[in-house]
Amino acid sequence: MIEYVIKLKREVRSIFKDRWVWMMAWRDGRHNFSRLFLFVASLITGIAAVVAIGSLNYAMQGELDKNAKELLGADLVINSNKPFDKGFIRKLDTAKRELAKDAEMASMVMFLNTKQSRLIKLTALEGEFPFYGKIVTQPANAYELMKKGNYALLDESLARQYEVSSDDTIKLGTRNFIVAGVVEKFPGGGALTATLAPAVYISMSALDSTGLVQFGSRISYSLFVKTTSEKQTENAINLIKPLVEDLGYSYDTVEGRKRDLGEGFQSVYRFFSLLAFVALILGCIGVASSVHIYAREKRDEVAVLRCVGSSGWQAFNIYFIQIFILGVVGSIIGAALGVGIQQLIPFVFGDYLPVEIQLGVSWRAFGEGIFIGALVSVLFSILPLVAVRFVPPLAVLRADFTSPKIVSKTKWMAITLIVLFPILAASYQTRSFISGGLFSLGLALALGSLALVAIGLLFLVRRFFPQNSSFIFRHALSNLFRPNNQTQVLLVTIGLGAFIISTLNIIQSSLLNQVEFRGNKNQSNTILFDIQSNQKDDVVSLIKKHNLPVNQVVPIVTCRLSGINGFTVEQLLESDSVKIRPWALTREYRVTYRDSLHISEELLEGEMHSYKKGSTDSVGVTISEGMQETLKVKVGDTLVFDIQGVPIKTFLSGIRKVEWPKDPPNFIFVFPKGVLENAPQIWVAATRIDNPPGAIQFQQELVFKFPNVSLIDLQLILSTVDELFTKVGLVVRFLALFSIVTGLVVLAGAVMNSKFARIKENVLLRTLGARTNQIMKITLIEYGYVGIFSAITGLVLSLGGGWLLTKFFFEVQFSINLIELSIISVGVVLLTVLIGWWNSREVISTPPLQVLRKEG
Amino acid sequence: MPETVIKAEGLTKIYKSAENDLTVLDNVSFEAIQGTSLAIIGPSGSGKTTLLGLCAGLDIPTAGIISLMGFKLNVMDEDDRAYIRNQYVGFVFQNFQLLPTLTALENVMVPLELRGERNVAPKAKDLLVRVGLGARFSHYPSQLSGGEQQRVAMARAFITSPRILFADEPTGNLDGESAAQITNLLFGMNREEKTTLILVTHNLELAKKTERILQMKDGKLVNEQIHSPA
Ligand SMILES: Nc1ncnc2c1ncn2[C@@H]1O[C@H](COP(=O)(O)OP(=O)(O)OP(=O)(O)O)[C@@H](O)[C@H]1O
Ligand SMILES: [Mg+2]
Repeated sequence: MIEYVIKLKREVRSIFKDRWVWMMAWRDGRHNFSRLFLFVASLITGIAAVVAIGSLNYAMQGELDKNAKELLGADLVINSNKPFDKGFIRKLDTAKRELAKDAEMASMVMFLNTKQSRLIKLTALEGEFPFYGKIVTQPANAYELMKKGNYALLDESLARQYEVSSDDTIKLGTRNFIVAGVVEKFPGGGALTATLAPAVYISMSALDSTGLVQFGSRISYSLFVKTTSEKQTENAINLIKPLVEDLGYSYDTVEGRKRDLGEGFQSVYRFFSLLAFVALILGCIGVASSVHIYAREKRDEVAVLRCVGSSGWQAFNIYFIQIFILGVVGSIIGAALGVGIQQLIPFVFGDYLPVEIQLGVSWRAFGEGIFIGALVSVLFSILPLVAVRFVPPLAVLRADFTSPKIVSKTKWMAITLIVLFPILAASYQTRSFISGGLFSLGLALALGSLALVAIGLLFLVRRFFPQNSSFIFRHALSNLFRPNNQTQVLLVTIGLGAFIISTLNIIQSSLLNQVEFRGNKNQSNTILFDIQSNQKDDVVSLIKKHNLPVNQVVPIVTCRLSGINGFTVEQLLESDSVKIRPWALTREYRVTYRDSLHISEELLEGEMHSYKKGSTDSVGVTISEGMQETLKVKVGDTLVFDIQGVPIKTFLSGIRKVEWPKDPPNFIFVFPKGVLENAPQIWVAATRIDNPPGAIQFQQELVFKFPNVSLIDLQLILSTVDELFTKVGLVVRFLALFSIVTGLVVLAGAVMNSKFARIKENVLLRTLGARTNQIMKITLIEYGYVGIFSAITGLVLSLGGGWLLTKFFFEVQFSINLIELSIISVGVVLLTVLIGWWNSREVISTPPLQVLRKEG
Repeated sequence: MPETVIKAEGLTKIYKSAENDLTVLDNVSFEAIQGTSLAIIGPSGSGKTTLLGLCAGLDIPTAGIISLMGFKLNVMDEDDRAYIRNQYVGFVFQNFQLLPTLTALENVMVPLELRGERNVAPKAKDLLVRVGLGARFSHYPSQLSGGEQQRVAMARAFITSPRILFADEPTGNLDGESAAQITNLLFGMNREEKTTLILVTHNLELAKKTERILQMKDGKLVNEQIHSPA
């Protein structure tokens, strides 16, 4: 009866109608904002990363959509590796269509002013290419000049590197050209392709006179088609479709190019999203851990509030309002910061983006950021805040009274949502549930392992506590186990940063170690290719004349597969039961012939077959390990090759393990001697050039005497790859740094939040006779421990992770650079100590009296 | 007809632990009449604070019934008990228990604001003036001395004109003069507003100022003295 009356009288006000909780939220909050600094900082960093990546993506997509046609420069492009069939061209060439052509090949260029030469991509153009977009040159009329025939254009980076300017003369093959200017922008080409393969442009009419087009030179031809409408494009596609296959051509449409570029960009974008996602999750950890500390701190106040009659939900609402409002403010700041960062991205990585990004704010990304931020601040604060609801009022009477653990529905719901959140967030970021799931799983694994290592480490420290070390060291160490100290969260977040940086370092040194030429003195670093059979001996004597080693002179025969185990390639392509990747069946193979293994090879199975001339045996060829898996063949299988129209029946006699980067060239298929000697072939020679002046002289004479022979300087490629790796590494390092910063933010927060407890403790120590510098030492050593343990945590895991990655993903030998890893670790420790000390200055210097006054 | 504001019947509190059960309160029964004053004394650990906590509905008994203003606290949920506290009960604690992030004035206003009342500042200021803190409205607890903090706590306890005031060692942390001020306020309130005063203390002098003294030992009520307050 009585209870009934009470239920009627007590009105439950919703958060929106309860003025009191809003008022309390403000009154209580105005002095606590600094305590929630960690919360806001975590949120800002996480949201900034998400928004920066998101808005870059939207800008990119928009740009791709707008300029799709300019990427291709035409409505339709047909590609071929032999000159186009005259009949085919005649069919296409009507009044409704405009045509343009280009031919691309590798060639040497010699800059006559400096007599330097290098390998370039020679592009010969004919017609009014591009139909969409523009070739931007300097000076502006250079392209028109080039079309006249005597002139050439150079990619800007190439001209800069070799200090070539207009009116200088260059030599391509046997002919000289005058430089008309430089190309600043070429449709569809990015600076990335220009870095890897800088181009020289000439008119198609001049190509033949260079003498570069010879047997065996690989030339790819393109035919650009401009139509008057979409409909016309479709007609053209329908027209060429049946012919293209017969003639061995392929074609590319605007949609297709857009898709390819989009996909290429998507995978880069996914990678970046992963980074942003990690940042976001780190932010979430920061949010949860800061709110957790905050809620614990508020326990006593909640007990008092409950004593004077506030309900559990009211108390919860007070802090929830504070967190939510700050969360929204933090999200707005974070989103603004993210948009700001996005404006910088084109400056840093613009060269590597396929299209030019306009500076602009993506409001969609901005909005998404704020939404995600608000969501994160609610989701990740509910769990720690729910505890507030169950603070027993009895705590006012007994300070250390702890209530039994209460499991509420809210708590379970929060836990479920928190588990779902990373999966959904990652899925949204990558626009794919599978990637999202994998992302989350990977991160959970990484964080889980880090947590395990951290817990294990702390357990060991406790177990083998150095009882005999000096007081200062012991005390600092036991401080790690102080309640509310967040030691585990610190080890995990700072450790994650250390983990990312050192894993990256391990992979980089493993990869570089693999391609490094330094260690093995006699390996080739310079490859000469496209040597005609009749030039072979002269080239070899030229190498010898310059006192260079002739490491390899190998013949190359181009051929295709035409059958495996009695099935034709066509049958295999259509077959559903044999799933061999089509490109492996249709591609052109460049094979060689010899009877012995090269130094980079090792026989895994079978034997190197020797073919007796004139015998009736079939020919035994060997295959490289990787391609054997791709083609799904085993020793004894029969393979039919089409060698320039002549079918040759072979069987697989062995499988070779090939260390590709070691002493190139290396081959997928090796024939025995005595079979291909009379087939049309070209030669490749490999040598090693160690002194640069000699290299220049040798190159000069080579280009001069054998203009069609090209030279690859592997050292040059290596340094280009290294440069690329450094740029990518920069991004990854940035993320790692970000992770460490999050860790340090958590650290700063933990220090700030435990400030009072620490001050009290230090005052106690002082009363017991500790001197300031002893307290200082204790503090520094404590952070030293945090740093060391974090570094160890990250390092242990990165050694494991790096080993797995190198072994299974990159398939290279695991190698570490101890010095660099030590530098990373020491850096992490120093940074941790610095931040810890910076935040503890007040703790160290507060005079005792002030503490006693607060005691009440 | 005098009204019974607290009625405890057979209150028992047992703390269970792994090794043994600890009976902290053993079958305690008593009643308190509106407007009277009552002291609970006894050696440390005898269960005084526990009894106070149960009477104020801060905790629930293992067995027995506790009713406050006729409401059976032991069958209510925590939020309902909170409501009852807000309506009828005031507290003063040994360690003051002010909210550190609120000013003196705001601390005093909390219980009324919690009821949803508006314009409570004048009343709170009045009370602060009455306890002699007219000049300290906007000071934070950390800027006040112990005695001043306790007076703010008194003002906060009085602002709802509670029917019952629970005080657990209210002068325990104070020097003689501050203690005297607090004592005067407590009993003044008891007389003027007919607030029932339940006082837990070690201090026999203080206890003797009440009308009734309940003496506890080992969780049991062992003696009850009724006398005219000194
Ligand atoms: N949560 C708990 N678990 C176990 N025992 C408890 C708990 N809370 C209190 N006790 C025990 O109950 C007994 C009574 O405690 P209580 O605080 O009521 O004594 P008290 O009379 O107020 O003592 P004091 O005068 O020292 O304040 C003590 O022995 C105490 O150890
Ligand atoms: Mg007590």
